[in-house]
Parts: sequence; C-alpha cells; structure tokens
Amino acid sequence: MSDTPHTLTERPATSRRHFLRASGTGLAGASLLTMLDAKKAPAQIKGTTLRILQWSHFIPAYDAWFDNKFAKEWGDKNGVKVRVDHIPHLELPARMAAEYAAGAGHDIIMNGSSILTRLYYKSLLDISDVYEKIGKERGGWIPSAGPLVTVEGRQYGFPMFYILLPMLYRKDLFDANNLKAPDTWELARVAARTLKAKGHPTGIQFSQCADANLNWRSLLFSFGGAEADASGNNILIDSKETREALKFAKALFDEGMTPEVFSWDDASDNRFLASGVGCWIHDAISAYRTTEDTNPNVFKNTMIGLEPAGPGGKRVSTSAANVYMVWKFSKNQQAAKEFLTHFGLEFKEGMVQSRGYNMPYLLGDAKKPMPVIGADPKMSILQEFPPMVAFYGYPGPFTTPIQEVVNLFVLPDMFTRVARGQNIEEVMKWGVGEYRRIFSKHKTA
Amino acid sequence: MTRASLSGGPDGSVRAAGAVAVPTSAARSSRWRSATARRLTFGYLLLAPAALYVLLLVGAPFLFSLWLAVSDANVGEPVAHFVGLENFRSAWEMDTFWIAMRNSVVFLVVAAIFKSLLGTSLAFLLLQDFKGKKIVRGLVVIPFTLPVAISVLSWKWMYDSQFSVINWVLSRIGVIGGYGSESWPVWLGQPGLALLSCIAVNVWRTFPFSAIVLLAGFTAVPLEVLDAAKVDGCSFFQRFRNIVVPMIFPILMIGFLFDTVFTLSDLSVVYLLTQGGPGNASKILPVLAYQIGIQAGNLGRGAAIALFLVPLLLPAMILVLRNIKRREW
Repeated sequence: MSDTPHTLTERPATSRRHFLRASGTGLAGASLLTMLDAKKAPAQIKGTTLRILQWSHFIPAYDAWFDNKFAKEWGDKNGVKVRVDHIPHLELPARMAAEYAAGAGHDIIMNGSSILTRLYYKSLLDISDVYEKIGKERGGWIPSAGPLVTVEGRQYGFPMFYILLPMLYRKDLFDANNLKAPDTWELARVAARTLKAKGHPTGIQFSQCADANLNWRSLLFSFGGAEADASGNNILIDSKETREALKFAKALFDEGMTPEVFSWDDASDNRFLASGVGCWIHDAISAYRTTEDTNPNVFKNTMIGLEPAGPGGKRVSTSAANVYMVWKFSKNQQAAKEFLTHFGLEFKEGMVQSRGYNMPYLLGDAKKPMPVIGADPKMSILQEFPPMVAFYGYPGPFTTPIQEVVNLFVLPDMFTRVARGQNIEEVMKWGVGEYRRIFSKHKTA
Repeated sequence: MTRASLSGGPDGSVRAAGAVAVPTSAARSSRWRSATARRLTFGYLLLAPAALYVLLLVGAPFLFSLWLAVSDANVGEPVAHFVGLENFRSAWEMDTFWIAMRNSVVFLVVAAIFKSLLGTSLAFLLLQDFKGKKIVRGLVVIPFTLPVAISVLSWKWMYDSQFSVINWVLSRIGVIGGYGSESWPVWLGQPGLALLSCIAVNVWRTFPFSAIVLLAGFTAVPLEVLDAAKVDGCSFFQRFRNIVVPMIFPILMIGFLFDTVFTLSDLSVVYLLTQGGPGNASKILPVLAYQIGIQAGNLGRGAAIALFLVPLLLPAMILVLRNIKRREW
C-alpha cells in the first residue's frame, strides 16, 4: 500500500465520469442545435408524456390557449402527450417542496413571483444550453433575467415572462382637476391629495400580499433605495433613501388613502379601480382588463402611465418574475428541454393570448412594436418598461435570504408600521434588524 | 365446604387423585402462562392495527419533525446536518415569533370561550322538541362540513373593505356611516379587528362541532335523574352544574381536547383571510411556521416554530387525560 497521497497530476486526464458528462452534454447540445435548425424535436421523445405544472393565469383565456392549442399542437407534432396542470400561484412553493420530497411529480414546474432557483438548484436540471441558444436566437436576455435562474454560472431555469405593475390612473378625474399625469411619485401624491377630498382616494396595499411586496419596492428603488449589493451578500436597506421612501409613503397614506388599504389583497385594488372610486393604482394590467370587462365607462377613462420617477428622476419597476424549471428526477428531460425551446421561440403568440399581460425577457421579443401592447395606443407605453425592470433584491440577485425577506413581508411591514404612525427610526431599527437576522442565518447555514 | 374439610382432612380418593393428578408448580405455571399468553397475544393482535396506525401516521411524522427541528434541513437540500437547538434559539430571537405566540394564545382562549358559550346554547336549543328538529340538526353542521377554502373565501368577501355586506347592513340601519367615513370598519385591516375577524370565522366554523359533542352528552343523561332534581327544587343552573356537567365530564373533556388541537393548528382561516397581516397583527404560529418552513424553504426553522405548539397543547392534554382517568376510578 502506498503512502503517497493522490495528487491532481496523478489523476487520468479524462475520468469515466468526465467522459460521460462531456459526451452527454455534447449529444444534448448537438440534438438541440439540430432541433433548432429543423424547428422539430428528435425522434427519441416520441411516445413519451410530458407533465407541466403552472399557475392559473390571471387571464383565463391564456390557459385555454396554452393547454388546448399551444401545448397540444406541439405534443401532436412531436408524438408527446402533454399534460398541463394548474394550481393557484400561492400554492406553487408548497407543491414544489412536496414534489422535491417525493422525488416525483411534474417534469416542468413553474415558479411565480417567488423564484426558488437558489434553493432547489441541486435538484434542478442544468438547462444552460437551452438558455444560451434561445438567448442567441432571440437577441439576448434583458439584464435582470439572468440572476433569476443563474447559480454558480449555470442556468437552472428558463425565464417565462414577467408581469409589470404600471400606474393606472383616471384621466377624466385628473383633467377635471387640472392635475398632471402621475409621471413622478410626487405628482401621484399631489393627485391623490386633491382627489381624495373629492371622494376619489388612491390605494396601495399596506398588507401581507404579493402586490405589497412589489409596489413598495418600486417606490423604494425609484427613491434610490436598494436591498442588497450586486453580490447579494450585503444588505443595503439601511439608507437615507429608505428613510425618504418611508416618509413619502406615510404622507401618501395620510393625504391620499383610506385605512382600507391595510386589508387589501392582490385583487382589492383591481376592484377599487373598477368600482370607479380609485383615482390611481399601481398594479398589473389585470386591473386594467378587469375594468374593461366590468365597467366600460371607467375603462374608457383609465390610462396607463410610465413607472413614476423618484426625487432623483430614477424609475425602477419591480416586476413579478415567472420562471420554468425542470426537475433532475424528470424521466422526460429531453422533451422538457425541447418544449422550453419551443416556448421561447414562440413567445410572441403567448403575449397575444395573454392580451399583453406576459412581458418578454428576450430582447428580440421586446422590440417595438410588441404584440397587442404595441398596437394599443393606451398600452403602448408598456414598451418603455424593459430597461427599468427589476426584481426582488435589487440591485442584487433574488437570493435565498431575500426570498425569506419577501415571504415574511418584512418590507411591506416596514411601510405599514410607518403608515400606522410608528416612528421612522424605530421602524428602521426593526426592519434592518429583520434583514440582518435573516441574512446572518443564511450566511451561517 | 367439602366433606374433606369437614372431616378434618382429605379422604382416600382425594389423596389418591392427589398422588396421581395434582400438577407440579412448574406445570401449573406453564398452563397459566400459556392461557394468559394466548389471551394477551390475542389482545395485542387486536390492538396491533391501531398501534401501527398511530405509530406510522402520528409517531413517525412527529419524530421526523423533531429531527427537522434540530437540523438545518432545507427544502432543496438532500442532506441535513444536526444543529442542536439553534432553530429554537433563532425563533426565540424573532420579534414576529413572539407576536405569533401571543396571537395564538389569544386566538385559542377567545375562540374557546365563544365556542363553549355558543356550543352549549345551541346544544340546549337542539334538545328542545320543535318541528323540523332533524332538519335543523343537519343544517347546523354545515359550517363545519363545508370545505374550509370555500367558506373562508365567502367570509373574505363579507369582510371586504369596500363591498362588505356586514358594513352595508350596519350602514343601512344607521350603526355606522357610509363607505369612506371614519366609522366604516375595515375588518381585515385594523390590527385588533383583523385578529377578531379571524377568530369569528374559526368560531363560526367549529362551534357546531362543540354543540354536537355536547348534544351527544346531554342525551346520555337519564331523564329520571333530572326529573328527580327538578322535583327536589333544583334550578336550571343547579341541574346543569351539579348533575349534567359531572355526568358528561369525560365527553366535555374530549371535546375540549379536540377543540384545542383544531384551534391551535388552524392555519387555513388566518392564511386565507389575512396571511397574518396587517403588519403581523393576526399572525399565529402555524402561519409563521408555514411561511418560514415551506414558502421560504427553511424546513428546520419551520419545524422548530411548529413544535412550539407542543408546550401550549401539552398542559391541556395532561390536564384533560388526568381528569378523565381520575373519574374512571
């Protein structure tokens, strides 16, 4: 028995494992390239079943199209039986945990808003090849797309689409009171103050829901605030800008809102606008569509505005990200990759079917005019959003500590506490303490 | 008494039989053992399915959650490491944990008081003879039998800040002002009201269960005893306190135990109505455990928070089971 330790130089240049990995990657890459050229999946996926789990879309017609046309036609063409299951978006993390624990379930699983790539990447399929190829094919990805799915330089998810939350305001009320369009947060505040006195307050959720997490981050980031640095390891929440944003939110609440915002969920502001009471809301265009379907008079006067600028002119629109992932335990990885490729290449049709709700991560699809929104004069402003889009953790990536901060609603709670009258410094002490506690716990782990 | 004992000793036949048939102590013991063993084996065999069921469905998950609570288990990590009491310490340090703990206790106590009052009243009402009694008895359990998601979402609409039917009725009868006025309650938006609104839904859902349990107890009390007490001049409350309660005590205790467990572990009502908001005002331990354990992926810390329910439940369980046992003797 030799006592000499093995060194790197003594190891064979190519181990069996390396050889298998390299040849597997090569084969997968080659088949993907062939498929991209032919726009047709290879024969080995014929006769298989592909199971997809995703949310129930806020635009129900999209689900009908996706299940019965898009997925079915792809399946028929490639001899794959595609089964699509839908569950409410809030149940996706629990379902993902259950499938992970069981080591069985769907082949492709969607993450909505709460993106769990960093938590699960060891159990997810590395789909960097699909990500890169589709990126090349469609003109590259918007800068904020990569950090959602990238861990240690590899991509473990496929960015599907994101959801914008623009300003939706009542032009008739603004015009009647000589108010300027809410192009800045200050103008939005002036409008809220003026119109609340006339029975038309504004509202943003001061509660524990997804919209509250998104809206208050848009305000905070537009005020120059930040959550974590580019590495994602250092907290930047303790800043003058955060204090300014909190102060502004308190004034906005006192002057322009009613206490009902403390009870709102994600759909409350949709109803608030559609009822004709609200003067403006900061929400996804599902609110715009709800108004179109339920109150045509209000809809006629509802305009969509650009993300309001903060005091320094900065505009950051925190959007709800959506990502597809493929389980490593999937027995149909090849079909899953090919379906994602097809999804990426045919994204524009999804924009049409979602009536402009699904926004593209791919620069090629974000070129003007975009489908639906490019043709609608009121919605065309949405085409200006891609450069200002950010996600949780901005300017850093959506890391696991940020995910816990989001799931515990720490930031909306800071805004809620201030609106309820708590001293800003006390709130900062509590909020920064929560961020530090969560970050340090993850660092230790 | 036998003849032998009368004559002062065994007769000849008995002596002979004794010499031949009296078993040795080892044989006696073996026969006894085999009879007892057979009986015991049969008993254990009958018990085995129930024991296995409890072990697999209660014991194993409980032990697993104990392991999770002392590990750094994470939803995406296949391997967990032992971290001792770190998860408990970190929960202890959380501001939100103490708010959730306080809210859980308030939730439990207030809900228990209202469920006892409403459940007892309903049980007495259902004891009376009236037309359509059977239909009414069937109808009262509807809140308990409806899927929780459906009933809670209906309540969410009733509590809506703008379209609340409760507020609409109160406004129409002049108790509160119109929408947008100071007196317009925002049920799920005001800290105190939010927790109370959640408690109200929990009480509405589960007090029929308390009523049914009590009703089963009341019908088991012999009417002769109550009639005799009535003849002796006992008032309604004296009969209730001195006759009915002692007689149905074991049923009351079992009902109390079930109710405590159901209330403390009720995640759905709070999660669907407020998600614990506004600003953690209605957050209870199961919701916090779910948010940290499942949504944020920290299984270890989630399990540790959930296990804090055990010290809350354990005294109630010990108290109840001890009382029942004492009364059995």
